[in-house]
Amino acid sequence: MSENVVEVQNLAKYFDGRCVLDGINLKVPRGCIYGLLGRNASGKTTTIRILLGHERPTRGRTFLLGTDSTNLSAKIHGRIGYVAEGHNLIQNYRVGRLVKLCKNLSLHWNDKFFNHLMETFRLPMDRRVKDLSMGMRAQLNLSLAMAIDPELLILDDPTLGMDTVVRRQFLELAIDVIQKQGRTILFCSHILSDVERIADRIGIFAAGKLVVDCPLEELKTRVRKLRVIFAEAIPQNLYLPEVVNLQSQGREMIITAVNWNQQKQAILETYKPASCSELPMSLEDIFIECTKPISIPIQVEKWEM
Amino acid sequence: MQLRIDNASDRPVYQQIIDQVKRDIALGRLAKEDKLPTVRELARQIAINPNTIGKAYRQLEQEGIIVTKPGAGAFVASLDSNLNRSVRKKLISEELERVAVDAFHMQIDGQTLLELFNNAIEKFNFPSIKG
Amino acid sequence: MFILIKREIEDHLAYFVGAIFLSAMIIAILISAFYYSEAAGNEPVFFFLSIPAIVVLTIGFSSMGASQMYTDRNRKISTFLSSLPVTRCQILTARIITGVLAILVVLVPLTVAGTILWRLFAPPIPIFPGLIFDLSVVTFLMGFACYCLGLQTGWTTSRITPSLGGIILTCVFVPLIMIKGFGPQIKIILLLFIIASLIRTWQKFKHTAL
Repeated sequence: MSENVVEVQNLAKYFDGRCVLDGINLKVPRGCIYGLLGRNASGKTTTIRILLGHERPTRGRTFLLGTDSTNLSAKIHGRIGYVAEGHNLIQNYRVGRLVKLCKNLSLHWNDKFFNHLMETFRLPMDRRVKDLSMGMRAQLNLSLAMAIDPELLILDDPTLGMDTVVRRQFLELAIDVIQKQGRTILFCSHILSDVERIADRIGIFAAGKLVVDCPLEELKTRVRKLRVIFAEAIPQNLYLPEVVNLQSQGREMIITAVNWNQQKQAILETYKPASCSELPMSLEDIFIECTKPISIPIQVEKWEM
Repeated sequence: MQLRIDNASDRPVYQQIIDQVKRDIALGRLAKEDKLPTVRELARQIAINPNTIGKAYRQLEQEGIIVTKPGAGAFVASLDSNLNRSVRKKLISEELERVAVDAFHMQIDGQTLLELFNNAIEKFNFPSIKG
Repeated sequence: MFILIKREIEDHLAYFVGAIFLSAMIIAILISAFYYSEAAGNEPVFFFLSIPAIVVLTIGFSSMGASQMYTDRNRKISTFLSSLPVTRCQILTARIITGVLAILVVLVPLTVAGTILWRLFAPPIPIFPGLIFDLSVVTFLMGFACYCLGLQTGWTTSRITPSLGGIILTCVFVPLIMIKGFGPQIKIILLLFIIASLIRTWQKFKHTAL
């Protein structure tokens, strides 16, 4: 099947007149591991909430597993595992009671897997949810989401509060899910190293727009940071397309550009720079550059496996 | 096979895997016909998306560095010495560039540097190994 | 659905216990009222006793409705349940069924006890079988109307205000009943109110951000 598991069309959302999402277009095909990055309050969580039908869009439409988000049936919910930011668990209940509730209401429950997870994470059944540490609540939330063997896993900052060991356990769990055929994961995280490890494709939100949407491995080749030194002064009329950031000091100019290719290199050559060297950019560097106020979208239309 | 992914690197993860496999082979840590871990095993071991590892393995196979035998797994190919040598030469030239940059900053001129280098070669009684 | 109802009952067990207690207490008072004022004309005593009973019951019903919605919003219960294969419609239906059950727990014993006592102690006024039915249906609808009002207002306001709303409703409807009697007209009016209230509640619940 090659249908899109998650689809967002021209999504816009306003809260009290303030624009939070401004024309988002996104497609996540089946089997893709999609990492959503963005600074705090950039619109990631809002998009996810709208996808799940918890909020209504101001404009545009969103689809999950082929169904409009405002119309999701119980069956569709049963095929989706969701870990919300802040962990939407009923705080007053004891863990055991919460688990039983989930177990009884779920369409498909893998008891063996769930018990294995509870043992791995060593979660106590008789404690109230509000008395668990944040990390334990994260583990519980994750276990509940995975125990239903979901087709689609939506994780909003799933490792919040987890210590290093548990975070690694979570990554290994995610890998296990990926290994199963046809599973899709959409997750937000602030921990770029985690995202780099498991994502196939990256989306970066900045100021309500999706400024990056491309395969992870291409991202590093598409965004380039160049250090250009001119023999005399920097030319006044220097113009290069798709420049994300430009800093100049004396004869030196640092250009961060996207979709760099031969053409742009040729254009740069016409200004006759004395030297032009490339500065390495890690994912973190790219992220910081792309989330600055002036951004050029990096879009890759075709999805190639 | 010990792989380390560097998140501060400017190289994509799959490229880092390729680089490290090549490096291990070049340095003799992986010998001809050694079995590489399967994609699944490696994915679990270093917590990396199996698709990324799969891509790295595919490219390594394209470049003729590894061979995959259906049902058996991936093995280091019987490399001809040329490929090995070119990788090694590249590694060394990168190191030498770094030394050259350091020398520049320490204001040691080219002539002095060459002298120092010859001293080093003599000191270590540099063997003339081929391949 | 059954699981959802069970969950609601467990969460609001206090109300059910209170309902049983209240029911028992009112029956006990009724029995003693009937015994000790046999000679001295029942109606005035009965009438005076029914006012506090009605007040307590209406506050009780509307506060149950309000409490169900308020605890949901406070403890984010629907937010959690929506991540499971459960629709908002099912959640609300289970909630209403639980409310109805609580109302019945109070009213059914009262009706039964009241009928028996009336048969035993009543002055020789012929009782139409229909009268008991009308009385109990209207009482149920009144109670349910208070409950629906509580349900409607409980999501956005605190628990106290909706409960008082129940009293206002009673003040409106009791004179109406006294004027119109327990006939079909009052039933229709109450039903219309209930339907309007439920529709409003459903609309709000369906579109609220969780």
